[in-house]
Amino acid sequence: MSHIHSRILDRELKKGSAELLILSLLEARQRHGYEVSKLIESRSEGVLKFNVASLYPLLYRLEKRGWIEGRWVEKAGQRRRRYYRLTKEGKKVLAAQRSTWESFVAAINRITRTEHA
Amino acid sequence: MPDWKQEIRQRLAHLKLSPAREAAIIEELSQHLDDCYADLLARGVSPEEASQTTLAELSEQQFLARELRNIEQQVPAESVVFGASRRTNMIADLWQDLRFGARMLVKNPGFSLIAILTLTFGIGANTAIFSVVNGVLLRPLEFKDPDRLVIVRTHDAREIGGGFSGSSMPDFREWRARNLAFAELAAASNSEFTLIGEGDPDRVNGALVTTNFFQTAGIEPQLGRTFTSAEESWGEHRVVLLSHGLWQNRFAAEPGAVGKTVSVNGEPYTIVGVMPKNFDLDRDPRTDLWVPLAFEPGSSWTTRANYYLSVIGRMKQGMTLAQAQQDLDRISRQLAGEVEGYERFSARVDPLHEAVISGVSRALLVLLASVGFVLLIACANIANLLLARAAVRQKELVIRAALGARRSRMIRQLLAESLLLSAIGGVCGLLPAYWGMGSLIALAPPDLPRINYIHVDGQVLVFTIGVSFLTSVLFGLLPALQATRIDLQHALQEGGRAASGGRRSGRVRSLLVAAEVALALILLAGAGLLIKSLYRLQQVSPGFQPDRVLTMLVPLPQTKYQQSERILAFYQDVTARIAQLPGVLSAGATSCLPYAGGGWSKNLTIEGRPAATSMDQVPSVSYRQITPDYFRALSVPLRAGRYFAESDTGQAPSVAIVNEELVEHFFPNEYPIGKVIRMGPPEHLAGWLARPLTIVGVVGNVHNWGLNQPIMTEVFIPHAQGADDPQRLMYLAVKTSGDPMSLVNSIRGQVSSIDKELPLTSIATMERRLNESLGEQRFNTLLLGIFAAVALVLAAIGIYGVISYSVTQRTHEIGIRMALGAPLSSILKLVMSHSLAITLLGVITGLAGAWGLTRFLESMLFDVSTTDAAIFIGMPLLLMAIAMLASYLPARRATRVDPMEALRRE
Repeated sequence: MSHIHSRILDRELKKGSAELLILSLLEARQRHGYEVSKLIESRSEGVLKFNVASLYPLLYRLEKRGWIEGRWVEKAGQRRRRYYRLTKEGKKVLAAQRSTWESFVAAINRITRTEHA
Repeated sequence: MPDWKQEIRQRLAHLKLSPAREAAIIEELSQHLDDCYADLLARGVSPEEASQTTLAELSEQQFLARELRNIEQQVPAESVVFGASRRTNMIADLWQDLRFGARMLVKNPGFSLIAILTLTFGIGANTAIFSVVNGVLLRPLEFKDPDRLVIVRTHDAREIGGGFSGSSMPDFREWRARNLAFAELAAASNSEFTLIGEGDPDRVNGALVTTNFFQTAGIEPQLGRTFTSAEESWGEHRVVLLSHGLWQNRFAAEPGAVGKTVSVNGEPYTIVGVMPKNFDLDRDPRTDLWVPLAFEPGSSWTTRANYYLSVIGRMKQGMTLAQAQQDLDRISRQLAGEVEGYERFSARVDPLHEAVISGVSRALLVLLASVGFVLLIACANIANLLLARAAVRQKELVIRAALGARRSRMIRQLLAESLLLSAIGGVCGLLPAYWGMGSLIALAPPDLPRINYIHVDGQVLVFTIGVSFLTSVLFGLLPALQATRIDLQHALQEGGRAASGGRRSGRVRSLLVAAEVALALILLAGAGLLIKSLYRLQQVSPGFQPDRVLTMLVPLPQTKYQQSERILAFYQDVTARIAQLPGVLSAGATSCLPYAGGGWSKNLTIEGRPAATSMDQVPSVSYRQITPDYFRALSVPLRAGRYFAESDTGQAPSVAIVNEELVEHFFPNEYPIGKVIRMGPPEHLAGWLARPLTIVGVVGNVHNWGLNQPIMTEVFIPHAQGADDPQRLMYLAVKTSGDPMSLVNSIRGQVSSIDKELPLTSIATMERRLNESLGEQRFNTLLLGIFAAVALVLAAIGIYGVISYSVTQRTHEIGIRMALGAPLSSILKLVMSHSLAITLLGVITGLAGAWGLTRFLESMLFDVSTTDAAIFIGMPLLLMAIAMLASYLPARRATRVDPMEALRRE
């Protein structure tokens, strides 16, 4: 595989998985962008990290697709923040993506195991 | 804390986001960066390092914008100024246009009034007719999933015209048992019932139905229950369901009526339920009770010989009409292999809705189209008025154009005025439609199906709004386009006089009037054909004298009148008693009265002729039983032999009277008196032999089923000799010397002096029956006639308007001609020839249109061809005469032009 091809694969993988990551994090409750980015970083133990310039365009894209919904919430003594939560459709997409991801990973695992067995 | 906002704003600058969106993104992102920065500080990072790390979050200069470009909406390049968006402008403009339009209408009250009146009539008439079409044709049947409801009919290939008739009980049973296509298949037979209980004995319309009838229709009872399948067996069948109306009228809407016992045809029936309002599956909305279709063992009603059932079916979910038809075809083929002589029968399935409205849809659509024509003519007239007015308003429009008004803007303003006019016309039109609905329904033939669904409702309202809107465009667009076609330079040079192409505008106006004439001619031709047809129909002699004849039905309940002697004695007795009443000239009874519906046919075998070899060859003729004075009461003329006499009793030799049609058909060159006939097939085909009847008289032909229906071959036998098949449902016909209705009470007295439980029903004079039989023709003719008359008047007004206008325009020219010595007649000719040209153009187009369109009337015409020469010559002449008259007035005005005055005006 050439260098360019592997870069494209890398980008697509990241894009696809990034959506899954965000949707998963919003599944339990609504969160604001900073919280999402921190959670990705901490839960992946620093392996995955989104900076502002890639996180927010992604959030806006998901919002435009109707999978998540953001709204400004003002809490006493705090600056108002934009919280995102999963929509009904987002939940469906998450379920679908999750199972696709799992079978994808399982397949990769099976293949890589066979290779090294 | 550093201000990130400037950094972010820079990165978003190229995206040209809407200000609000940009602010939101900046707010959200800067907050993120604030949090990030604060976190770093909290971890002990130095402010400079923290600031750098945080800024790195935004990546290189172009990254953010690139990522956002496909997601965020960019606003158009134009600058955004509050309050000046296109949409606000349009609404503000429309409002301004409407206000301006209203002022213009008020300023020209004469024009406005004429236009609004014309529209009121046009839209009102359209609304009224559409209400009828909507109620009768368009509204879906009020049952569950009405699309799945169908009617199944038996087709007898031997019947004349390949008619579809009712079905027999065995056919129905086979269909029900063998079909795969239907969820339910039910049968019904309409009948009349004598109901006793809670008041006087009453004769009501009802139906015998299979017990699944209501499930098939998908209707739940309002009270109680419908029938159980056990109630279809004889003995269990004495249960009755009431209509909502009957329950209200006879049982005071008491819920306690359910469970009560009433007498139906002399037998005790238990009321098990009440059906909801408006449950009318049949054409007849007056079905008042339902009883189970159950048969006494051995009843002839269960044989293949009786085709009397209406069968309705509910197709299974997802089943198409074609599939259902295939399924029935399969069963017909099976039966043809099993039942002898079944080859000529088949079954046909049709949507129930179609079957209900089949008889009237053509006529109603013709009326709707006609009234639409009237509206078109009205539009043409108003367009003409607007065109004439546009010339007057030319100055205003030229000034506006000179000040920079765009053409589209001026068209919009003129259209807004039209819209205002037609909106007022629409509102005003709704009122007469709403009020006129009552008289329209009263005029409508009583057998119009679903007549109780006709009213002005939401759908009608939507129709009216739509028509009003369309109308405004129809009459407003052309004048608006014409008026705004302004050549500024030319217009300003001419000083505002005749600025727009005067000649072109004149041509458009002439063409519009020609179109009016054409449409009017089409309507006139249609109305003329219908009027001629109705006239022809009324010229048809019914074959008897309907004046001063009172008729009524006196049915005898089966339980009480079982022995034939009792039945025969009753009618003999009652006619004799009535004949004795003062004011009665003669009184007779018949098993089947003209125009009362119903009929009875029997096979005919003539003695001494070669016997038929198969049933297909055995003719069938109309058959009825009468008392001796029946022919006298109706004044049916005797052509040969004698009428029946009191002496023609069961003990005397059996006799028959036939009509002329039968003689012509079966005894063309023979003297029929003395011939012997039998009312049945030959013995070798039937296995039994009907008794011989000697023909003793020949009577004139009578139109029994309507003046437009063919005469049938008929056999009459004396009721007194019908002991083997005595009729319990006999109509009385009483010829009186004075007003027949005045005798109703004394006749009722005579009937109840014999049996006070007998109801008298269907009381009507023969003249009324005859009249009602023409109800549909009269309704169609009257409405189309009115429309044609209005069209004629509108077209005449149109011609008058155009000629009158052109005379005004040509005053100068006429003045010069007269000054140069032109005789008055040549001026008259000049003007009239213009009118003649317009009319001729319209007449020729109209004739072609009428030629094409009147064929849609074919099924509504009697004894008149759709291209009747008299109509196609007479109507154009009438129209041209009216057109000449309408143009004569302005033409005469032209001859009175004072040349000096006309020339001085320049």
